[in-house]
Amino acid sequence: MEAARTTIQRDSARADDAPAFDCSHLVRLSGREWFIVAVVILCLVRFGPVLWNRVEAFHPGSDYRVPYELSSDYWLYRRHCSRACGQEKILVVGDSVVWGHYVPPEQTLSHYLNEFSGSEQFANLGLDGTHPAALEGLLRYYGAHIWGRTVLLHFNPLWLSSSKHDLQTTKEFHFNHSELVAQFAPKIPCYKAPFAQRLRIAVQRKMPFSNWTSHLRVAYCQSKDLQTWTLEHPYSNPLWVMLRGLPEPQGPGEMPSGSWLDKGGKRQDLAWVELDGSVQWRFFRRAVELLRRRGNEVFVLVGPFNEHMLTEANAATYNAIKDQAAAWFRENNVPCFLPSPLPAAQYVDASHPIGEGYALLAQQLLEQPSFTSFITDRNTKGQP
Amino acid sequence: MLFHTWSFFAFFTVAYLVYLLVKGTWLRLPWLLVISYFFYAWLSPLYLIPLVYATVVDYFVTGRIEKSRRKGAWLALSIINNLAVLGFFKYSKFIAENVNVLLSLLGASLAVPAPGILLPAGLSFYLLQSVGYAIDVYRGDVQREKSFLTYAAFVSFFPRLLAGPIERANHILPQLRVNTPITMRDFTDGLSIFVVGYFKKVALADYLALYVAKVYGAPREFQAPALLLATFLFAWQIYFDFSGYTDMARGIARMMGLRLMLNFNNPYLSLSMGDFWRRWHISLSSWFRDYVYIPLGGNRKGKLATYRNVFVTMVLSGLWHGAAWTFVLWGVVHALGNFTTRELERTSFYAQKVPAVAKQLFVLGFVTFAWIFFRAPSISDAWTIVGRIFTSGLANPYCPLLALGLIVAVWAYEYIFESRVQWLLEARVVRVGLVILMIGYIIMTVPAEGQPFIYMQF
Repeated sequence: MEAARTTIQRDSARADDAPAFDCSHLVRLSGREWFIVAVVILCLVRFGPVLWNRVEAFHPGSDYRVPYELSSDYWLYRRHCSRACGQEKILVVGDSVVWGHYVPPEQTLSHYLNEFSGSEQFANLGLDGTHPAALEGLLRYYGAHIWGRTVLLHFNPLWLSSSKHDLQTTKEFHFNHSELVAQFAPKIPCYKAPFAQRLRIAVQRKMPFSNWTSHLRVAYCQSKDLQTWTLEHPYSNPLWVMLRGLPEPQGPGEMPSGSWLDKGGKRQDLAWVELDGSVQWRFFRRAVELLRRRGNEVFVLVGPFNEHMLTEANAATYNAIKDQAAAWFRENNVPCFLPSPLPAAQYVDASHPIGEGYALLAQQLLEQPSFTSFITDRNTKGQP
Repeated sequence: MLFHTWSFFAFFTVAYLVYLLVKGTWLRLPWLLVISYFFYAWLSPLYLIPLVYATVVDYFVTGRIEKSRRKGAWLALSIINNLAVLGFFKYSKFIAENVNVLLSLLGASLAVPAPGILLPAGLSFYLLQSVGYAIDVYRGDVQREKSFLTYAAFVSFFPRLLAGPIERANHILPQLRVNTPITMRDFTDGLSIFVVGYFKKVALADYLALYVAKVYGAPREFQAPALLLATFLFAWQIYFDFSGYTDMARGIARMMGLRLMLNFNNPYLSLSMGDFWRRWHISLSSWFRDYVYIPLGGNRKGKLATYRNVFVTMVLSGLWHGAAWTFVLWGVVHALGNFTTRELERTSFYAQKVPAVAKQLFVLGFVTFAWIFFRAPSISDAWTIVGRIFTSGLANPYCPLLALGLIVAVWAYEYIFESRVQWLLEARVVRVGLVILMIGYIIMTVPAEGQPFIYMQF
């Protein structure tokens, strides 16, 4: 570096003596002027997101969940996370099962936990589509506020139900939230993004400014960049749109009215992957370790998977995997609950319960001594 | 590897720091060659084959040109070799397709198989540069480069490898031979030039491309206003895209202490078609002027011969851009435009009474019209667009006002730059303010994944 520093020689000559600037414009800045530019841009990068936090109204209620259409708005997730941590809530973290894909906000797991425990102490920090590999990235890069908290972490066994769900296929496969997964290591076999894209993601997700501009795109430009958005709104002023505030959540669209039994309820043989070689399980373990390293108390809820849709032999395979997972939790002193399946009619599909199913699950959870002592300990000790 | 990608920023950071370290040592040129080849091979390692081949052949052939008595024969060999490489990669499919059309017209049942050969990026640029060098050595305008390393670095210097400028040996070789220090002014100037180019590419060209691609992708679904606006936007898109590339290339080179030639000089302020070609893709137009137009006789042999020479030069220039009849037609249209403005300039009314701004708008309008043939996927599509501009309805074009606003802002800047009040743009607050606006706009709004450069395909 010393040599590099000396090679770039300071040109102290007056502007008249400076080498010709043979350009068809006059945008020629001196070192001092570049310094001014750098200071202004750094101020924008540093304070833009902070100021925006004050401009953009955000008052999540007790049943708030990051809107479905903003599922890739990790900046909003971080903000929701920070707010929930500030209110010293128990954070219910997971994928669409926690988020409540087929139910309205007032029928989710966190809602019923609040209702049955008689206090608004649970916050829904589920995010639609966050398989364990993405969840680990979500917590690592956008869950920095989850430090010394109490976390109810959900594990959805659905992600082990095929090598595709487990991201093990060597053929490229586009999955949800690829911007959250590990870009270079550990390697995810089906993730084949070009080097430039991986590098960009790896750098940008550590930059709040970049997450903020992504938030503006997702929340106000329907997940498009400004340029594409103006093609659809050629005469609109994007600044006015942004000043109107966050859009109202629309939900995931059409919600099925009945359970999986109404759709035929056929039994299936799923191609479960080995737990030891599972990519998703590996990332889930990393998520647990990350949370604990950050001084959080973690309680894991596994499933309940819809075992009614499995053939007998397949259910046995699934239960063996579940037992292996339970053994790992025991070995690592992670309190957990692996409930029996809910009644068949209370599932919409392989893993998502209907509203009644969530209520039953919340009840079962609150009846678990390990869970009650877990949240009681938290109330006794108090949050840091 | 494209300049506006994250991989390039990573590559350049490492390459540049090492370059600064080895700048004063014998490692400077080997390192320059290594990073140039690495940069090129990033797109496809196979691309290195024609590059190395052209470099080696011309290095030895120019040696023969310098020493042999049969200089003409060796020059012919160099030209034929380069044209053969170009023909093989770029024109073989086009030639085969046209031969097949001809055969079918003649009723022959034969068909030449059309090869599907991948065209290496930037091939036309470095081959033209190589041919120019061989001609310069033959004419004695340039001393043949003795060092293979220096010559290889001249051919493959990475900032200009993909889309020019098509440099001249007497401009670049002396810079490569000597080891001049890189000053802070070189660095800040290079950065200034790069940022302007980067803005042109990612904030302007890629933006305009969205509307242009939508309309030109399905011209029959759009009416006159949209087709006109898309053509107008394409005129600016290709300008921002190509001049943006050149600016970035020049900026990078300047940071490395080397100067590449000016390739664009506000072409949409041209007063005539001749003026346009003195401002647009200057390295190509001056190449065709020096190695085709003037050897054909230039304007020294009367009006008719001059027009013939202009016509041949413009058609060859069109064909250089791409192996398709649309490019040939584009060259023909430009030749006709050249004749028109030459003749108009001969009349005292046009030369003296018509205000400059009207001439500029006329040239801009004509050049914009010609871009239809350049952008359309086929000649029939081009005629469809021209036809629909005059015959279809007047439906709302839904063209983004922001895009038009940005074009007007750039046009106004260039207009002021060439006016008497240029001093306005010299003010520090204007220069610094513009850079802040450009960088702010880029980091706030520009999508992460940029589009490839249009001219890379040539």
